[in-house]
Amino acid sequence: MQALHTAATGMAAQELNVQVISNNIANLRTTGFKKQTAAFQDLIYEHIRRVGAQSSDQGTILPVGVDIGGGVKTVGTPRSMTQGTLSQTGNDLDLAVSGEGFFKILQPDGSYQYTRDGTFQMDNQGRIVTAQGNPVQPTITIPNNASGISVSMQGQVSVTLPGSTSSTIIGQIGVTRFINKAGLQPVGNNQFTETPSSGAPQDGTANSEGYGHITQGSLEQANVDVVSEMSDLIAAQRAYEMNAKVISAADQMMQSTTALFR
Amino acid sequence: MQNALLIGLARQVTLERQMDTIANNVANANTNGFKADRSLFEEYLNSGAREDNFIGSDRRVSYVQDRGTFRDVSQGPMEQTKSPLDVAISGDAYFAVQTAGGERYTRDGKFSMNNVGQLVTSDGNPVLGNAGPITFQPTDHDINIAPDGTVTVLEGSGKADSIRGKIRLVAFDNPQRLEKLGFNLYGTGRATAQADTKSTVQQGFVEKSNVNSVAEMSRMLEVTRAYTQLSTLLQQQSDLHKSAIEKLADVPA
Repeated sequence: MQALHTAATGMAAQELNVQVISNNIANLRTTGFKKQTAAFQDLIYEHIRRVGAQSSDQGTILPVGVDIGGGVKTVGTPRSMTQGTLSQTGNDLDLAVSGEGFFKILQPDGSYQYTRDGTFQMDNQGRIVTAQGNPVQPTITIPNNASGISVSMQGQVSVTLPGSTSSTIIGQIGVTRFINKAGLQPVGNNQFTETPSSGAPQDGTANSEGYGHITQGSLEQANVDVVSEMSDLIAAQRAYEMNAKVISAADQMMQSTTALFR
Repeated sequence: MQNALLIGLARQVTLERQMDTIANNVANANTNGFKADRSLFEEYLNSGAREDNFIGSDRRVSYVQDRGTFRDVSQGPMEQTKSPLDVAISGDAYFAVQTAGGERYTRDGKFSMNNVGQLVTSDGNPVLGNAGPITFQPTDHDINIAPDGTVTVLEGSGKADSIRGKIRLVAFDNPQRLEKLGFNLYGTGRATAQADTKSTVQQGFVEKSNVNSVAEMSRMLEVTRAYTQLSTLLQQQSDLHKSAIEKLADVPA
């Protein structure tokens, strides 16, 4: 009976849906996390009687056909790249992007990764680095006797050097855009890499040409809305249960047939 | 006497198909833009019952067959996603999608962008505007989709809206004639496409599946009960047959 397989595809889809939702909830407090939603599609149909087929020699055509669907499949888990709320931390090296753009991070192997998580620190050489110790691009080194680090909306980093009353610009943190940021590949550690789907990275300056601006002393929170995740979770669980019910109903039907003519 | 068996069997086959349809509806309870199917049955009169030895003329035997699956084209519930590229249609129209096999139609408005900035479906097929696919520039931001489908953006540091196209909405004289192709797509089938004038779109929303789970569950119960009942009927018929053979062939001692 086809219904059994159809319901099985439904159960598999809802299982994946729960996985995606639970990952969103697990990352509720992950800085710069972007939530995912599972997207589904119906499978191809078996056309038992094709709609519009001729039903008589007089040219009568069938107004409706008999189309039996084969279930559901997962087409993807698109990432929702909406802005997360900014929470103030007061740390000089905590940066958040409001609007478009990612921070560009140099990896030990020379490649680049991109992140919305602006929890930066200083390493032993005075460089601004991520929590993993990888430098933010372009690399900015803060002199060890400097004080009063300030990052402007454009990403300009300035410090006050001893014996000086005015601040000195020591570099500019860049932001990178992608034409399809939802096509970036997550690699863990709150970071993404470019893919053929995301398009090539476009480095630019914050607060210009449609790039977002940088806010110092703030971090971007995950864009997960816990209430909607919980309601999605309930919906997914109920859908799973319904598919399980279909399986037991189909099983019962088959049982009544096999019980015949003992 | 065979007629009861055959009629019962005909009904069981249609019930099985109805069950398959329900299973597909339930499996797609979370599929964006999915429209539920319903089974339709009709009486099929077979002329001349061969084993009908009752008084009078031949009676016609009434079988059942499934005439079609009828699509429930009612509006699905709208879910707010806040994603700027998600669009839901309020009304009877469909989005036009460009696929390798030609133009197809969908109600699934969970769109994204591809690497060249085109507005695409989850499968990567471009969504058609009134003048071809809708393409964004690399520096576009603040995408806005008006209720009539006009897509505007702010370009670079510009402050004025730039138009990127207008999402094409297509209506059909008889949406029942659209052919379900899977992948959330419809083919034209025998329906005639025409430009839609009444429907509106809403940005930041997705139309969910219009499957009514409670109704599906009760329909499923009905189907299982009817099916089991028929199995019992077949069993009883067979028992009757058996005892008739046994009794008639019983040689009196």
